[in-house]
Amino acid sequence: MELIDRLFQCIMDARREDAKTLMVKAIAEMGYETALVSVLSPTLHLIGERWAADRISLAQGFVAGKVAEDFVTLGADHWSSLSSSTMGSRQSGRIAVIGNVEDDYHALGRSMVVSFLRLKGWEVHDLGCDVLAKEFVDQALSVGACVIGASAMMLTTARNITSIRKELDSRNLQGRIKLAVGGAVFNMRPELVAEVGGEGTAPSALLVPDLFERLRLLVTGHIGGHAVGQVAGPTQGLGALR
Amino acid sequence: MTPAERVGAVLSGGIPDRRPFACTLSLYGARLSGADTLDYYSKPGVFVAGQRAVVDLCSPDILFGPFALALEAEGYGSTLERFPDSPPSLKKPAVKAPRDTQVPRPQPGTDPNLRYLVDSVRALVADQDGKRLVAAVITAPCDLPILLLGMENWLEVLLFEPELAVYWSALALDHFEALASAYFSAGASFLVSPVMMTSPAFMNPELAERMIIPHIRKAFSRLKGPIVFHHGGNRLAPYIGMVRDLPNVVGFALDERDSFAEARVVVGPETLLLGNLSGPHFSRRTVESITEKTRSLLLERKDDRKFILATSNADIPWDTDPNVLVALRRTVEDGV
Repeated sequence: MELIDRLFQCIMDARREDAKTLMVKAIAEMGYETALVSVLSPTLHLIGERWAADRISLAQGFVAGKVAEDFVTLGADHWSSLSSSTMGSRQSGRIAVIGNVEDDYHALGRSMVVSFLRLKGWEVHDLGCDVLAKEFVDQALSVGACVIGASAMMLTTARNITSIRKELDSRNLQGRIKLAVGGAVFNMRPELVAEVGGEGTAPSALLVPDLFERLRLLVTGHIGGHAVGQVAGPTQGLGALR
Repeated sequence: MTPAERVGAVLSGGIPDRRPFACTLSLYGARLSGADTLDYYSKPGVFVAGQRAVVDLCSPDILFGPFALALEAEGYGSTLERFPDSPPSLKKPAVKAPRDTQVPRPQPGTDPNLRYLVDSVRALVADQDGKRLVAAVITAPCDLPILLLGMENWLEVLLFEPELAVYWSALALDHFEALASAYFSAGASFLVSPVMMTSPAFMNPELAERMIIPHIRKAFSRLKGPIVFHHGGNRLAPYIGMVRDLPNVVGFALDERDSFAEARVVVGPETLLLGNLSGPHFSRRTVESITEKTRSLLLERKDDRKFILATSNADIPWDTDPNVLVALRRTVEDGV
């Protein structure tokens, strides 16, 4: 509990290096998996609760993403051994392609999402900013992704997501690859998700792994339905920037 | 009273003939005058013709220079997108990696966009000939790097790269000082600066006090005239105490979600407060709803000597019904 409090405070104060030191200590003492489950995940849960109540700043959310990224880096050996085991992301099908849509350069939310997805064991192929619809779909097919995450901040760029929808539909990939959308504009205009052909969104970067998991289960047939809708919770979406 | 005298009365603690009001109708002037926005946001004469149309329609007591902050960034290499019915906005920041510090240094005298911004204010001041105050809108020095580096890079630099933060802050300070000085030389009565990075939505107060406020204090202390601290799209009242004593700040423009009473308790009775009808929501307003909302706000602030009714947030949208603006004017003129 003390470690969680200290890690939480490091994130609140933007003390990334101190957070890293704490995580190294936790990993040394209890092992990577236990540190993840017993320290980092509960800490991020606390962050998520504050996020939901609008009680943390964008900067603190950003630091949380960086701390998650550092944890993934610290566990490089863990992740590589995991990926070669039966529980690895490739075997589980937790593979995603993510990027900012054509003409969109607001990378902050996307990079936070990448960190949180990787922490949950997803193999994430981050295509960066200004990604064409064809590139999204080609890459998803090439790596065997079950979810494309398309991020856009503004209404004008969000409309470019329809090209990804068309690309998926024209290649009859509706059942194989799900389209998650996100960004500030979707928090303000939830109806836009369906309008651009999205199959779900999340109002917080921390909630994106839950959304992707639901979409993955749709692909594998473990849950029915066509659209996942919006995962309830905090205010920072996939690629969102207030 | 002329509009300028009316505003002057409020600023000096006198009694105006009625409550002054101001609307962010920078964009709307293009619609009223039938201007192409490409021309409107590049030719001072076209901009001024639009503002004349604004005066003809609703006669606000304060006029604003172009509200197009992204124009300040293009000279550094940022890419903008132009729209037929809204101001230019940032498409792509100039710099991919914050370590790429070799960027152009546009100056108000030579950069086409900065010259347009300053000359529009100059032309508007000449056109009004003292009848109305003209305010110039300027990007806050702590926010300019968002337009040059992108938000992610700027946060990364601010939080984890102190040496680069000093570099980009100094660049933003130079820019702010030069443009502010040019605006005042052009006759601007005051500046309005929307400030985002001080908001707890972006930066928690402990970090803002350490990293942002000293930078703004330095920039504002170099101003040759007054500035209005604008809420920047976020609530201001909850943290107004943190920015209350910044130098040369003549007033605060509040967000539509802010409480005047809460802000007034913190800033005291002598500080100007402006607000807080949400500008971007005007396109959804009816004559009846704006009349009611304006009356309610005027009534709430009727004993507040240092209050100017104003729209908050960004520009009033292109598709706003002109009758709504006429109704606003009429309600203010009728008083409560």
